[in-house]
Amino acid sequence: MKLTSRGHAAKLDLQMTSMIDVVFLLLIFFLVTSSFQKTERELDPAVKVERRAGARTTDLAPTVVDVARGAGGEFVYRLGGRELTSVGELTQVLVQFENKSDGAFVRAADQAPYAMAAGAIQACKEAHFSPVSYVPTEGTP
Amino acid sequence: MRLSKRQGKKLDFNMTPMIDVTFLLIIFFMTVNQMSRTNKEAIPLPSLAGSQDQSEGTLTINVDLAGAMIVSSRTVNMNELIALLTTAISDVGGEPGQVTIVVRAHRDGTCRTVNDIIRTLDKLQITRVRLAVESTP
Repeated sequence: MKLTSRGHAAKLDLQMTSMIDVVFLLLIFFLVTSSFQKTERELDPAVKVERRAGARTTDLAPTVVDVARGAGGEFVYRLGGRELTSVGELTQVLVQFENKSDGAFVRAADQAPYAMAAGAIQACKEAHFSPVSYVPTEGTP
Repeated sequence: MRLSKRQGKKLDFNMTPMIDVTFLLIIFFMTVNQMSRTNKEAIPLPSLAGSQDQSEGTLTINVDLAGAMIVSSRTVNMNELIALLTTAISDVGGEPGQVTIVVRAHRDGTCRTVNDIIRTLDKLQITRVRLAVESTP
């Protein structure tokens, strides 16, 4: 009885099984042990430091977003007389402003949550203010 | 005339050099990957879209939840940071405007340390500061 047509002609002798085993084991090992990093981006605010000398009002004449304590004691975004709680709300309000070429200032006190300060810069950027300046303040504004 | 002959042809794959090269590549990429992470601490950043893709800065300052500053896996105080910044300025020919600082601050922290860093950068006339954020889809 003839089982193979090629018979004794081609003699393939590849021991791939063990290699594939090892490769898969390594693959699983690296998949389990690796930690995937999230993609990072960045905000590039202009940096301004508030001076105690008189120029305060002229320096901060354009749009100013304060990250400050609101009436309820929680930190909020204060824009003029308004108190806003989320980046979305802040963006919606800022988009309606007209003097975007004058730039915007984000003032954050030392005690303010950093995520809120970064959120305020993001909102100004999304509302197409240019430049957006970050102004650190010492006390609660 | 018969050109190809299947009979007697023995395929012999030598896998050893391929495995050698593969392992060398794995080790190479693991090492490079590890080196590129030394500047970046495992700090959760604010989840925001950001305004531009991250580019490499002259110096990366990590700020953890407690407000400690970490540069190249080493916790530094403000005086040490000033020394590092001064060196960075010297390295670019004494032009503070050429120095780019990336600040990676913990999303749940306060602005205190970030504000201190920015005041220090202002004193050293460094104006190019970037705040790292975690990209949201």
